[in-house]
Formats: sequence, structure tokens, C-alpha cells
Amino acid sequence: MTQNKITIALAGNPNVGKSTLFNAITGAHQHVGNWAGVTVEKKIGTRTYHDTEIEVVDLPGTYSLTAYSVDEIVARDYVVEDKPDVVVQIVDATNLERNLYLTTQLMELGSRLVIALNMWDVAESRGDKIDTTKMEEFLEIPVVKTIGNKGEGIDGLLDEVLREAGKGAHHEHEVSYGNEIESKIIELERILVNDDALSARYPLRWLAIKLLDGDENILEKIKVSPMATQIDNVLNTIDREDCEASMADKRYEAINTVLPQVCERCVKEVTFSDMIDHVVTNKYLGIPIFLSMMWAAFEVTFTFATPFMGMIDMFFGWLAGVVAENITTIWLGSLLGDGIVAGVGAVMIFLPNIMLLFLMLSLLEDCGYMARAAFIMDKLMYKIGLHGRSFIPLLMGFGCNVPAIMATRTIEDERDRLITILVNPFISCGARLPVYILLAGAFFGRDAGSVIFGLYMLGIIVAILSAKLIRGTLIKGKPAPFIMELPPYRIPTVKGSAIHMWEKGSLYVKKAGTIILAGVILVWLFSAIPSPGVDAAFASEEILGTGDSLMGALGHVIEPLVAPLGFDWRIAVALVFGFVAKEIVIGSMGVLYGVGKDEDALGDILVAGAMTPLSALGLMVFTLLYVPCIATIGVIKKETGSWKWTLFAAGYTTGLAWIAAFLIYQVGTYVGWGL
Amino acid sequence: MFFALAAGILYVLFGCMQIVEQFGIKTGLAELLLIPGDIFGGLCLVVIGAVFLYGAKELNSGMNMGVSYVYVGILMSLVFMAVYVLIIGASLLEVYLIQNEDYLEWRIIDDIRPGLYLGFLSLAGYVAWRGRFSLPAAK
Repeated sequence: MTQNKITIALAGNPNVGKSTLFNAITGAHQHVGNWAGVTVEKKIGTRTYHDTEIEVVDLPGTYSLTAYSVDEIVARDYVVEDKPDVVVQIVDATNLERNLYLTTQLMELGSRLVIALNMWDVAESRGDKIDTTKMEEFLEIPVVKTIGNKGEGIDGLLDEVLREAGKGAHHEHEVSYGNEIESKIIELERILVNDDALSARYPLRWLAIKLLDGDENILEKIKVSPMATQIDNVLNTIDREDCEASMADKRYEAINTVLPQVCERCVKEVTFSDMIDHVVTNKYLGIPIFLSMMWAAFEVTFTFATPFMGMIDMFFGWLAGVVAENITTIWLGSLLGDGIVAGVGAVMIFLPNIMLLFLMLSLLEDCGYMARAAFIMDKLMYKIGLHGRSFIPLLMGFGCNVPAIMATRTIEDERDRLITILVNPFISCGARLPVYILLAGAFFGRDAGSVIFGLYMLGIIVAILSAKLIRGTLIKGKPAPFIMELPPYRIPTVKGSAIHMWEKGSLYVKKAGTIILAGVILVWLFSAIPSPGVDAAFASEEILGTGDSLMGALGHVIEPLVAPLGFDWRIAVALVFGFVAKEIVIGSMGVLYGVGKDEDALGDILVAGAMTPLSALGLMVFTLLYVPCIATIGVIKKETGSWKWTLFAAGYTTGLAWIAAFLIYQVGTYVGWGL
Repeated sequence: MFFALAAGILYVLFGCMQIVEQFGIKTGLAELLLIPGDIFGGLCLVVIGAVFLYGAKELNSGMNMGVSYVYVGILMSLVFMAVYVLIIGASLLEVYLIQNEDYLEWRIIDDIRPGLYLGFLSLAGYVAWRGRFSLPAAK
């Protein structure tokens, strides 16, 4: 006959075998619901063991008990408010250090704890030797070895749970945070004791620690406390960020004092990877190092590609000569020479830059640095309202926005995902690079590499500011927390990086042979047809690429829209066709300025008076920011499932591009720059 | 620590000179030390210098992990050295393969930058501690 009834809570990091152990304990006696007020799954099961009915509550998997996520709030509120008789923490024996971090927090919460050392068989098979007796001595917590998927150790665990639940006085454990922080904890405890509501509900030391930890959930609760002002006065005397970091350090320090004594091989030696991480994730140096590495990548992309561009230029020059010599039909010669060879050649000439850019990004990714870049940018991402996981799709945007937007599927929160999709087109894809290279090379000479680097940075800044704006207005709320494990650094292999480079770069070649080819033929066709009322032959010299062509007529209609930006009708038309694919901007300009495939000649014409450095800068910025290509628009529609957001993306980007180019040209002209 | 301090000071100094030269302020050393005006390039040298100096500070206060900054400083300066070597390589291709008219009067000294010759200091550091620079190969 059942005489007693107790409640136990199962806590632990995600993926430590918590659900398996829950099933092993409760069998089929369980029901699933949601935690009150949130959409987090709540599982409760029962088990009668000896003469006790045990209610088992499966808490959400968490890494800590600081309120970074709703899972963590749910878990700790349950422990604090429902006060289960025993909390069983499932610890992954193969990763003691990370798992014991949660142990320190559960200890601080004053819970009666039992540790289920799960997956110890895996740990032992790889050579770890964990002394559970010593572990119990140091932590003053019962430790039971379990293998959840085999159901091993369950009875032993339940025996310990019953023993712990039946104990009288409970000894609370503390992590020492050092003199400075401890004095603040005491100061806060003295204030908090005067708040009857809070002190009755939460352990005072734990409350003080959470306040110093910057726990937003507790800080919210404090706002309505009668002691709020005094607490704020204490918190204003500390650097909260530093305090949070040093408290985490102290917890790890405590763990690392215990670890070598309870486990022979669990303490990892400091590797060269760890040493690099120590520097590249440094609070002050991390972002400058990242920017320096990106600058180096762009410098190589621009400079080292130049001779290879010369070789492609020579090839298309030879091809144009072959066409001119052998095709006697005027319109066919013009289509092949001025249309196809000129248009496709003007795009293909930038293939070395594209390949080198992808090679540089592949090298950074393959060596493991890009994961660190995501890590160091996470704090900034969170501040601007983006999820830490957003950084990877944004980085992918440097290659092509289409797969980058598809990569946002890894972001679970719909709002975080939507914001990442909407700002992704501001990240400068490879297709926009030819425009920068042509204009920066023609107008800014040796500083071209720095100008291009600046444009890429501008894209990132606009994406950041737009995310903040959208998060503050249209899609309110806070991003979900981001936890990632950093892979070890590796030396990239030539073969691996070359394959990655080719996978991405070959898309550019395919585009040149398909959509760009079709686009430039269309541009040529429009520029070869006389506009209504003009008496001239199709594809004749008087018509081709002039204002008297159909293209000219279209260009003159839209020219007033771009005239305040310093652009003429040719650029207006090129930008319109750039909607098909950004590379066509240059191909179209080649056709419309009548210079064929010769990139140098196009640059010379522009420098000679068709553009000023200011309007060139404005055009580069406009190309960076305005409506993304049709493929990107298509994928935005597909991924958001909404025409409203798709049209918003198209309108917002183009509006912003117009304003930016207008300011550059008008303000620059007013103050006399670049004239 | 002396290596970190010396390298840090040199990189910061040359980086700053590149930046001020870009703003048209003549240091008088530009021709002698082959320092071009280059804001971003200069800032990168300052960052490398800052990494070395941070390491020197940590080592001075007895923090063993300070040596990490020296290693990363060395790696970064070697990366930048490689970038400038590639730039020279590109110019050589322009001269001898493409026979670009713009490069008729090009001399190798035109492409020599502080990031290149300061890299030799780091190269010496790398040779001295190369045993520490070990990483597995990527799959």
C-alpha cells in the first residue's frame, strides 16, 4: 500500500538524455501539457517505488538558470515556487565541466539535489575515470551512475532520491565570488530582506546573485519592489557586464578546482585552439581582429585578381576581333559583338574577383574562424535585436543572398527569422562586386580596395540599423538566446577550400551563361530598336545605345527619378535591368555607353565626364542598397510566405538606396567634394 | 615579453604613420621607410600592434595566457605579410605576363609596405616558437 508521496524535478542541459531517463523512470505513466502561460512542453509522470508515489516533472533543458530564455525561467520558477522535494540533475558524464555549471546554480537555489551521472559508459569507453565517491564528498551531493537508454542505475537513483527527500536539515552550498562581489551580495541581501514579498519567495543570496548577474526577469521583479531605488543605487556602482563575466568565471573556477580531483582525464589541456580563442574572442580586440581579417580578404580579392582580369579582358578582346572580322551582317555582328561578347565579357571579367572572394571566405570558414566571428558578434546582434544565429546567414549573404535567406531556417523564432530575412539583402553579395570594382578602380585608384571594404562595411551597418529599426517598430520583442559550441581550429586544405570556392563561384559562371546572357541580349535588343517616331534602321549606328533607341526612350522616362542622384538615363536603365541580376548593371552600361567588353574603356568614359567621383560613389551605394535581384525577391516571398513583407523589402531597400545616394551626391556637391 | 612589447610598439607606430600620411600630414619618414598613406591598412597594423601590447601587459602581470596574444599577433602579422607578398606577385604578373603599360616603370620597391618587412620580425618569432603552432588539418 502506498503511504508517501513526493515530487521530483528532472533538470539538466539539453541533449543529456533527460527524456530517456524520464521515460525509464515513469514508463507509460505520463502525460504531456504546456507550462502555464507559455508554449513550453510540460511532461509529468508517476512511479511508485517501494512505498512511495513519486511524481516526476521533466523541466525544460537549460544550460543555466539565468533568465536568458523562457525555458530557463520556467525551470527555475518551478524549482523556486513549487519547491519539489528533490531536484535530480542529469549530468552528461562526457562533458562534466559544462554540466556542473548548472549544478552550481541549482545549489545556489537551495535545492535538495541528486546527480544522475548519465552516459558514464560512453565517458569510460573513451578513457575518462570518474570517481563518484570523491565527487559526492566534494559537492556534498549524492551521485548515481545511470545509463538512461538501457535503464541502468534507475533503482539506485530512486533509492538516493528517497533518502535525500527523507533527510532533515538541508545544508545549502555556496560558490565564493571573491571579496568585491561578495560585499555587493551582502549589501543587496541587507536591502532585499526589507522586501517581505520577495524575501518570502526567493532565497536572498540567490536574488542578490541574480541581480548582479543582470538577470532581466529578476530585474523586472525588482522594479515594483519598495526597495527598487536602493537596489538600483548598489547596481549602479558596478560594471554589470564585467560583474556577470567574473561571476561566471568564479563558477568555472570552482568547477575546475573539483574536476581534477574527481576525474582523471576530464581536465582538458590548454590547446593551441584555446589560446587562439582566448584572443580572437577578447572583449576589446575580437571585433577589430575580425574587421582586420575581412580587410585583408578584400585587399587580396581586389589586388591579386587584377592580372587575371587582364587575361580575361585579352580573351574577350580577341573574341570581339574574331566577330568583327567574320560576321558581315550588321545586326548579327552588333548582336554578337556589342551585345553578347560585350555584355557577358563585362561580367566574366570579374570572375577572378568573385573566385578570390569566395576562396578567402572559404579559408576563414574552413579554419574555424567564422564560428568565432559569429560568437564575437553575438552580443552586438542581440543588442540590435537580432538572434546570434542570424550572423551566419548574414555572412553567407556575402556570397549570395538567396542561399543566405534560405539558411535563416535554422533560426527557430519566427520574428528573429523574419528580421534576418528582411535585412539580409543589405549584405553585399558577389554580384554587386563588379559594379564596385569598375567604379572604385576608375575613380579611386589605389584606394579602391579600401573603398570596396567600406561599402561592405556600410552594408553591414545598414543591416544592423535596419534590424534595430524594425525590431523597435514593426516586429517588437526580444531575440531568443544563442548558444553554440565552437569547433576546434583546423588548417584548411587547398583541396577543401578550392572545392568550396568552386561550389559558390561556379554559380556566377552559370549565371553568366544563362540569365545574364538573356539579360544583355534583351538590353541590346531594346537599344537596337528605334523608339517610336525615329526614322532609322534596326541596329544601325545612329540608334544603337543612343537616346533614340527604345531603351533611350525608356531611360528618358525614368531619368527624372535618378537625376537628383547625379545619374543619367543610361545608368537608370542599367539599374532597372539590374533587378534581373546585379551583374547586368555593368553589362548594360557596357552596351549603352558603346564601349563593348572593354572595362577600362568604360571606366575611362565615366571618368572623362559621364560621372563624377560623387555620383560614382552614389551609384555604388545605390547598387549596394536598392531592391535585391529577382531571385532574392522570390526567395523572400517563399520564406516569409507573405507578399506584404516581400513588397516591404523591395520598397524599403529602394527608398533607402535613393535617400543615401541623394545625400551623397547633393551634400557632397554642396560642400564641394569630388568636383 | 620584450618581443611582444617591441613588436607591439613597432606595429602601432607604423600603423599610425600610414593613417596620418593618408590625411596629408607628412611624417618625413614616408619615403625612407616606404610608408604609404592608407587608413584601413594602417588601422590593421594598429590592431596587430594592440594584440602584441595586450599580450605584453598580460605577461607583465604574470598571466600565462598572455602568450596567446603573442602567438595570435604573430599569426596575424604573417597573414598580412602574405597579403603584401600576393600584391607583389600580382604586380609581377602585370609586368611580365600581361605586359601592362601602366607597369612599365614599376619597381619591386613600389609595393613594399611596413606590413611586409615588419612581418619578418614575426617570422623570426614563428621560427623560434613554431612547435606551439600546431593544428589538425581540416577535413
